[in-house]
Amino acid sequence: MKMRYFILIAFFFFPLELVQSNAKEVYPNLSEQEVGRFVDLTHNLRCPKCQSSSLSGSNAPIAIDLKKIIYKLILEGKSNKQIKTYLKDRYGEYILYDPPINIFTSILWFGPFLIFFLTLLVILIYIRNRSTR
Amino acid sequence: MRKILNVVPLLIFCILLAYLFVLLNEDKNDLTSALIGKEIPVFELPSLKDPELVFENKDLKDLPALINVWATWCAACAVEHPFLLELSNNKGVPIYGINYKDSRKKAIDYLKRKKDPFKFNIFDSSGDLGIDLGVYGAPETFLISKKGTIIDRHAGALNSDIWDQKFRIYFHQD
Repeated sequence: MKMRYFILIAFFFFPLELVQSNAKEVYPNLSEQEVGRFVDLTHNLRCPKCQSSSLSGSNAPIAIDLKKIIYKLILEGKSNKQIKTYLKDRYGEYILYDPPINIFTSILWFGPFLIFFLTLLVILIYIRNRSTR
Repeated sequence: MRKILNVVPLLIFCILLAYLFVLLNEDKNDLTSALIGKEIPVFELPSLKDPELVFENKDLKDLPALINVWATWCAACAVEHPFLLELSNNKGVPIYGINYKDSRKKAIDYLKRKKDPFKFNIFDSSGDLGIDLGVYGAPETFLISKKGTIIDRHAGALNSDIWDQKFRIYFHQD
């Protein structure tokens, strides 16, 4: 039984392990912690060419270039925030996976709450009507 | 009152459907540039035709103008090439080229073979200026104002429809 859990857990960690060792080969001279940052950044930035994919999951020429830039900036000692700002200034908010709160994205941010409260309201009205009947 | 309430979900559904339908038709390949309203990034790069010659921002003199990012490996660039020639030859639109991640020899041959619509070409072999401009593929065309700021960007091949829609009003030659 324990073995089964172990395999399950190992299964979850395996792909990430693989990605990290790959990153180390292609992008040398990074410390353990910097490799982690590289993997994290490339997973959480969007490839501007193939927009449903992250930089890490893409081999489009621009994704390769941007990964090199991220590598370079990490080696230069830039923080994650600085790197994200660097890319945002050139490629726009779109490259970050977290959409900003503005008039266009408000439906994404607040729509679910609105639907939740509307549903709650409908249920309450329904229950009240039923109990008065 | 009850009857009206019954229609509400259907109404919401229809609005949502219409909204999503509009989004579906939106061209997601042409992203809005993050550089709109900003100056052209600072560059200092060699000329395509003469490796000794270095171009800087101040060499972009004839404004308003287009900056076209192109390469010989890019199929859509060949598609828009005749239109660029027409703009430059017949409509007097100044076009500056950025030869993007290309081989110098191939690019020079290409311009000899197909004619050269550019005032001059910046040779960006590493693609660094491309990244500063937020280029994510070739071809891309930037519209530069009289003051040297970026007004608009079109990603993908330029044609007369897009020219009329986005760029034409900034040039009073035609």
